[in-house]
Amino acid sequence: MISIETQKENGHDLLILRGEVDASNSVMLDQAIQKLLDDGSKSILVNGEGLEYISSAGLGVFMSYLEDLQERDIDLKIYSLTPRVFEVFKILGLDQLIPIFPDKTSAF
Amino acid sequence: MIKLPPIHIGKLSMLLAILVWLALLFVDLVRLFGIINTIDSGIAAEFTLILEILFFLSVYSFYNYSINKNTQNDFLNLIWRAASTGIFSVGFFLLVSLLYRLLGDSKLGQEPFLLNFFYHVKFALVSIFLISSSLLWKHLILYQKSKQVVKQWQAYEFAMLVAMFFIFFNKNNLDYSFLFGMVILLGLGLVLSSNLKWIPYLTFKEKWKSLLFLSLIISSCIYLFSQTLEFSDSEVYPVNLTDNLFLISLFGFILIYAIFSFLVTLFNLPTSSVFEQKLTEAISFQRLSQSIQPGENEEQVLDILMDSCMSASYADAAWLEMSAYESGSLLQDRSIDHETRNELAELIGKQKVAQEWAAENQTEKLSPITLRLGHPKFESVLLVPLIINKQAIGKMVLCKEVRDGFNKEMVNIITTFARQASIAVENHRLLNQAIQNERYQEELKIAQRVQKALLPTKLDHNGAFDICAYSNAADEVGGDYYDTYKLDEDRFVFIIGDVSGKGTSAAFHMAQMKGIFQSLIQLDLSPAEFMARSNSALGKCLEKNHFITASIFIIDTQKNIVRHARAGHVPTLMHSFADQKSDYLAIDGLGLGILRNKQYINHVEEKTFKYQPGDVLVLFTDGIVEAKNEKSLQFGFERIRSLLEISHHQGPREIQAKIIDSLHSFVGGDGLIDDDYSIMVVKFNEYQKN
Repeated sequence: MISIETQKENGHDLLILRGEVDASNSVMLDQAIQKLLDDGSKSILVNGEGLEYISSAGLGVFMSYLEDLQERDIDLKIYSLTPRVFEVFKILGLDQLIPIFPDKTSAF
Repeated sequence: MIKLPPIHIGKLSMLLAILVWLALLFVDLVRLFGIINTIDSGIAAEFTLILEILFFLSVYSFYNYSINKNTQNDFLNLIWRAASTGIFSVGFFLLVSLLYRLLGDSKLGQEPFLLNFFYHVKFALVSIFLISSSLLWKHLILYQKSKQVVKQWQAYEFAMLVAMFFIFFNKNNLDYSFLFGMVILLGLGLVLSSNLKWIPYLTFKEKWKSLLFLSLIISSCIYLFSQTLEFSDSEVYPVNLTDNLFLISLFGFILIYAIFSFLVTLFNLPTSSVFEQKLTEAISFQRLSQSIQPGENEEQVLDILMDSCMSASYADAAWLEMSAYESGSLLQDRSIDHETRNELAELIGKQKVAQEWAAENQTEKLSPITLRLGHPKFESVLLVPLIINKQAIGKMVLCKEVRDGFNKEMVNIITTFARQASIAVENHRLLNQAIQNERYQEELKIAQRVQKALLPTKLDHNGAFDICAYSNAADEVGGDYYDTYKLDEDRFVFIIGDVSGKGTSAAFHMAQMKGIFQSLIQLDLSPAEFMARSNSALGKCLEKNHFITASIFIIDTQKNIVRHARAGHVPTLMHSFADQKSDYLAIDGLGLGILRNKQYINHVEEKTFKYQPGDVLVLFTDGIVEAKNEKSLQFGFERIRSLLEISHHQGPREIQAKIIDSLHSFVGGDGLIDDDYSIMVVKFNEYQKN
């Protein structure tokens, strides 16, 4: 189960994730990010406070946008990850490519 | 041993009948001779009567046998047999009377012996006609046997048997007892005569024929009866054979049944087409439900459906549209040209009812509708939906030249036809699907076998360490990989890898990973360089959102050192014998295929460390860490670590078994681990270096 919510704040797009991202619903995450890009977002902040679990399929979604974001000079930041989910990003090494912040204020 | 020839009942009873008849004739002629010459022949009348009964019984047995034996017992044949016997008898009667008219008052015309001879022949013919006809009637009556009818018939036969012997008590008097017996027998015959179920099965033409035959039977029956009555008035015959309750009652029965059959057939004539129609519908049903065999196609069913529906509704034209194919694509049409069809389709499209009908989403509510059209040729149409698996896959349009040409019965039967056809098509599709699924299963089994072969069966090692490994896929195939490689006598490589995702796509990437790893391993690269080159090679072949994580260990048993790099893979657990402690190896490294450019080398680290005998390395994939129990709790790193601390002194196989066992008991008895998982355990020994 996953719920995805988007908000606008100070010219940033907030992507609020709750629940678990796995192979069955990673498409929803993909669509949400794609929509923000299509709408011309310049900065995407992912709120991972409510994210309980992310599978490799979910990580694959973030990964697949890295090149695209870099080319189009769009910021992608993740903040407020729970320790367990942060661990998953860290093990894969994605924390080297996506800036991850402990809370919202530091991410802004 | 004397072998008795098989007893031929037919021939035997025929022979017996002839012999008995000859005896009867002889006895009566002798008696006549006695009367004429006023000599008492000494033959009692009862003797004649016994012979008569014997004659009846042998004729009965002959016909019973011959009718049962004849396999071609269609109704017309049966009636024809009765009719032909009747005609023959009547013909003989007429011939004899003609002969006597010609003889006139001549001496021969008054000859009592000749008269008596003819009398006996006539008696025999009448008996044969009556007994054979009654047996034929029996066949018709018992056409649709029920216990009740069989019992009625048996009762009738028994009563008839009693009636044969009645003559001994009655002496041919037309008294009350005779009348009483006759009323009972006629009553029984009347009850039996209500069994006329064979008539509807005759076609229109057959009904006409049977009417003709039945009228022949009726007229010959009446004629013979009147002739028989004349005998009783005549004084020429010493013993009256024909004034017999048995024969008279049989006359009644044959006549009643023939008249009943005649009338019922006559009144059935106008409706026989309806019955024939129903029979065709039943056959259509059968054809519809049987028509699709594996390997045949749906069009044949639709073909039969069209024909059946058209004949059931007397439609003048029809066509079939399948919406599942290109819009309005046509599969079949009957007696209608392209132009007329388009005109009709346009007219139908204009009707509001038809629009609503076409827009109806709840297919279970969809039933055929009739429409009136203002078309010069076709004034009414019937739209029939074809619903398969709750989806309207098409419609059939039946057209008639008359207004309101479809009545409720036609619509009902067509509805059932359409349903039957839909079921047949659906079954056909399901069957095909099942066959295809079966094939996929087979293919997956092959894939599984092939993938198992991609994992090493023998793990390279020397005396410096023991090693074991295990891998399990959540589906038939998976994305986990491990391997070993012997660089030289002292140097060995272990690798473990995991493709993101699981199932078939992961399995293909796993095969690519193996190819790349196996070729790079031989180059004797440093761990970081190995990962960098793997990343560059895999970056070209992985799907955009897929990545691979891997760990590599290069062991030098000469120098007791391990060189290690980790590419996004779950950290490796190591037990240090010296510290008596297990810990995860901390080292950074990005997964393969995530950064698909030269920058990757900046994101992978390399570490070299010494090992001691008694140290244990446990390599595994995230399937173990992330396995969940029913409370959604993960197995986690800590559990594996404490397991190793407890069991590090055991051999690698025991350690591996311990981890896997506790993983399974953690997940729960039948809880499935829904990811691929693999594990490799390496334990270093005291090793005598050369």
